[in-house]
Amino acid sequence: MDYDLLLNLATDLGYGLLESGAEIYRVEESIQRLLHAYGVKQADPFVIPNCIIVSFATPEGKAMTQVRRMPSHGTDVDLLERYNDLCRRLCREPLPLEEARAQLHAIGETRRLYPLPVTLCAYTGASAAFALFFSGSLRDALCAGVCGLAIGLAVTGMTRLHTSLFFKSMLGAALSAFIALVLTYLGIGQHSERIIIGALMALVPGIMFTNAIRDVMAGDMVAGISKVADALLTGVAVALGTAMALGITRLLWGV
Amino acid sequence: METLHDLAPVLFAFLACGGFAVIYNIHGPGILICAFGGALGWLSYLLSAPILQSDISQTLVAAIVISAYSECMARVRKCPVTGYLLVAIFPLVPGGGIYYTMEHAINGENALFLSSFLHTMGVAGALAVGVLLVSSAVRMWGIFRHRTLLQRR
Repeated sequence: MDYDLLLNLATDLGYGLLESGAEIYRVEESIQRLLHAYGVKQADPFVIPNCIIVSFATPEGKAMTQVRRMPSHGTDVDLLERYNDLCRRLCREPLPLEEARAQLHAIGETRRLYPLPVTLCAYTGASAAFALFFSGSLRDALCAGVCGLAIGLAVTGMTRLHTSLFFKSMLGAALSAFIALVLTYLGIGQHSERIIIGALMALVPGIMFTNAIRDVMAGDMVAGISKVADALLTGVAVALGTAMALGITRLLWGV
Repeated sequence: METLHDLAPVLFAFLACGGFAVIYNIHGPGILICAFGGALGWLSYLLSAPILQSDISQTLVAAIVISAYSECMARVRKCPVTGYLLVAIFPLVPGGGIYYTMEHAINGENALFLSSFLHTMGVAGALAVGVLLVSSAVRMWGIFRHRTLLQRR
C-alpha cells in the first residue's frame, strides 16, 4: 500500500471536516477510524482549531507525519454531512486509495451553496422573527429585518475579504445597531433594544461558546480553551460594536 | 386567546431557526428538523416555567430537550448531530443578556453590569451543561453497547 497517499487522504479528510465546522473529537476520531480501516494499527491525530497533525507508523515501522495549517473558517453543515458520510462509507468498506481520493476531492468541488439572495432573505427573516420573539411589535420586526439584511450583506462581504472574526462581528453589530437606532429615531421602529437584540442574534457567539465548553469537557483542553477565548472575544466585539453605535447616536441627537 | 398569545414565541422560534438553518447551509428536510427543534426547545422552556421559575434552570431543561431531539434526528438521518443542535439552540442564546450587560457597562452602572454579566454567563453555562449532559450520556451508552456486543461474540 502507498502510505504517502493514505496519509494525504486522512489529512485531507480531517481538513475538510474541520473546515466545515466539525467538533475537534469528530475530526480526530474520523482520521483514526479511517487509518484503522486501511490497516494502520497505531494512529495519532492531534487537532486544534487551526492545525491538524496526523502521525502513524507503517507496518514496516516507518513513521509518517503531516501537519496542515487551518485558516479561519465558518460553518457549512451540508459539506460537513457529506464529508462525514464519505468517512463512514470508507470505514465500512475501504475503497482503493486513488478512488477514495477522487471522491474526497469531488465533495470539495461540488459544494452546494445557497445563492446570495436566498441567504440574505434568511438573514432578514431570521432577524425579524427574533425581534418578534423578544416581544417586539410588527414594526420592530420590519426594522429588525432591515438590520438583519445589513448584517448579512456586511458579513458576506467581509468574509470574501477575509476579515477577522473579531472585526467582522464588531462592524456588523455597529452597523445594525446604528440602523436600528436611526429607524427608531425616524419613528418607524418602536423599541430600539428589541430590534437590536433580534438582529444581533446572527452575530452573538452562543453556539461558539457551547461548542467550546463541549471541547473542554471532552478533554481537548488546548482546542477548548482557545475556542472559549475566541467566543468571549467575539462577544466583546459584538458588545463594543453596539456600544459604538449607541455612543455615536447619543452624540448626534443626544437621546 | 391568552394561551395562544403565550405560545406565539414558539412560532417565531420556528421561523427564526428555519432562517438560521439556511444561513448555516443546511439543505432539504434538515431545515424543518432544525426549525422544529428550535420550537420544541422554546416550548419546553415555557412549559417548565411554572415548576422551575428561574430562567437558568429553564434554559438547562430546554437545552437537554433540544440535545436529545437532535441526537435522535442525527441517528435517524445518519448525520453529525452538530448541524441540528447548532441551529435549534439559537433561541436559548442569551442575546438580550449580552445587550443589557453592554448597555449597563456604557452607562457606568457597575452593580447592574456585574449582575447582568453573571446572569448571562449563568445562562450560557446552563446551555453548555445541558448539551454536554446529553452528549456524554449518548457516548457512554454507545460504548456500553459496543462492549456488550463484543462480549456476546
